[in-house]
Amino acid sequence: MITFDKVSKRYASGQDALAELSFEIGAGEMVFVTGHSGAGKSTLLKLIGLVERPTRGQIVVDHTQLAGLRSRSVPQLRRRIGMVFQDHRLLTDRTVFDNIALPLIIAGTTRDEIGKRVRAALDKVGLLAKEKSSPLALSAGEQQRVGIARAIVAKPPVIIADEPTGNLDPQLSAEIMNLFAEFGAVGTTVLVASHDLHLIKRIGKRVLVLDHGRLIDDFRPAAA
Amino acid sequence: MTVKRQAERNVRKPVVPAPPAAPAAPAEPRRQRSSVGSRIGAWRDHHLYGFFSSLGRLAARPWATALTVLMLGFALALPLLFYIAFDNARVLSGGLREAREVTVFLKSTIAAPAASGFAADVRKRDDVADVIIKTPEQGLAEFRQLSGFGEALDILKENPLPTVLVVTPRQLADEDDPPLVAELRNDKRVDFVQYDATWRRRLSDVLQFGERAVAVIAALLALATLLVIGNTVRTDIQGRADEIAVMQLIGAGSGFVRRPFLYTGLWYGLLGGAFALVVVIGAEWAIAGPLERLLASYDHRFALRGLGAISALIVIGASSLLGWAGAFVATARHMAAGHPE
Repeated sequence: MITFDKVSKRYASGQDALAELSFEIGAGEMVFVTGHSGAGKSTLLKLIGLVERPTRGQIVVDHTQLAGLRSRSVPQLRRRIGMVFQDHRLLTDRTVFDNIALPLIIAGTTRDEIGKRVRAALDKVGLLAKEKSSPLALSAGEQQRVGIARAIVAKPPVIIADEPTGNLDPQLSAEIMNLFAEFGAVGTTVLVASHDLHLIKRIGKRVLVLDHGRLIDDFRPAAA
Repeated sequence: MTVKRQAERNVRKPVVPAPPAAPAAPAEPRRQRSSVGSRIGAWRDHHLYGFFSSLGRLAARPWATALTVLMLGFALALPLLFYIAFDNARVLSGGLREAREVTVFLKSTIAAPAASGFAADVRKRDDVADVIIKTPEQGLAEFRQLSGFGEALDILKENPLPTVLVVTPRQLADEDDPPLVAELRNDKRVDFVQYDATWRRRLSDVLQFGERAVAVIAALLALATLLVIGNTVRTDIQGRADEIAVMQLIGAGSGFVRRPFLYTGLWYGLLGGAFALVVVIGAEWAIAGPLERLLASYDHRFALRGLGAISALIVIGASSLLGWAGAFVATARHMAAGHPE
């Protein structure tokens, strides 16, 4: 579902974020990316969503060659990727419902369908009662769960999350990570960047370890 | 787009031959229609989204919106008022240009019977439509009424005014001195002929200059409107850069991001144009009283022409278009430079 082939990224500042990175993630697989800060976790996720373009190498996401993709087609690609951010990036001027509905509105889903799908997504993250609230009225954990609902509402084949538990306490973090693991179990490819090794170990999924932009370990637990 | 359509065709191809030909045929167009229908539905929903979200945003900041609308309204009202003033002046000057009268002052030695005989002679001419005699008494009465020198006139022992013939030619030549005027001027009984062709032409030149000046001012202020709206939308975009970035990250195309701003520009233009009309109507109302008195003194030969319903619609349409265009320029610049994060 996601293939990196000798991908390198050098920023305009001259900083080498990724070097000769190659790996493959199958459909429905859940994978963690970890490493110290500055190891290239965020860059890796940005390359998948075409927020940044690689300097060298090939990336394929959901059967799409990213190198040949014109900027006009980038929105089409992003609709097939659910993104979750550390600071959740909700729009505070509208309700929880409207936040989650946004990807569906963008995709041109009919209104009846939007109502159904948003409630289904809210149900999945356990916030069905909060649909009319403002995101500002929610706790940090709830806000992140709204962010996750927004990422999954359009049923994308790929979900990527950059430090989704960065601002949360251990118990909330575990809840959020279990949520991601559930999506992986229903056939969605999930890629989570996190530096919380303890938590990653508890979930027991495949882990890519980065160090200074290089892949130094691709750990697959026996169970997976 | 073409790639996607190609892909659809490729998918469809193997499906068609599988079932028998007869039931497959009607299924094909129906599927197509529903996809076209859903695309139109999505298009409509996107526009409704832009329409309402932009309106909601304007309503959420009533003071800022009102300020912008007021500024635009006054900027648009100025050239409109100029235009109305010159439109009226043009009509008035048109009336003057068509005023064919040649005023003939007879010598004071010509008595009333001789004067009417002369008038009859002139009236017989082929190139004369009508002749009106104004006796010295009528002239004095008119002068007394219009000039306000009534008491001063009472001092005069005798009427100093001559008999006046107001001659209306059948058609007015553009030349300065038509033959009729020349012949009247040469007549022994005539003291003085007044025919102000030169003055009239000069007036029409002044009015043409005024019209051009109004057009230039209107163009400049239209440009200002464009820039005001463009700049307002630009600040709006800057204030919502985070939101735009989020939208782009979750797959919004530039059209989707852009549409609410274009509608915002449209609203500004529409409201500004409507307010400009209010200003114009207010101004017309304010000058109506004195103007009415002025017009009464001209025997109502001339009426104020306000802005008609069609012109008003054109104003609103044009200002809406200006708003849209201003927003278009502002968003085009941002979209060209825009990257999420």
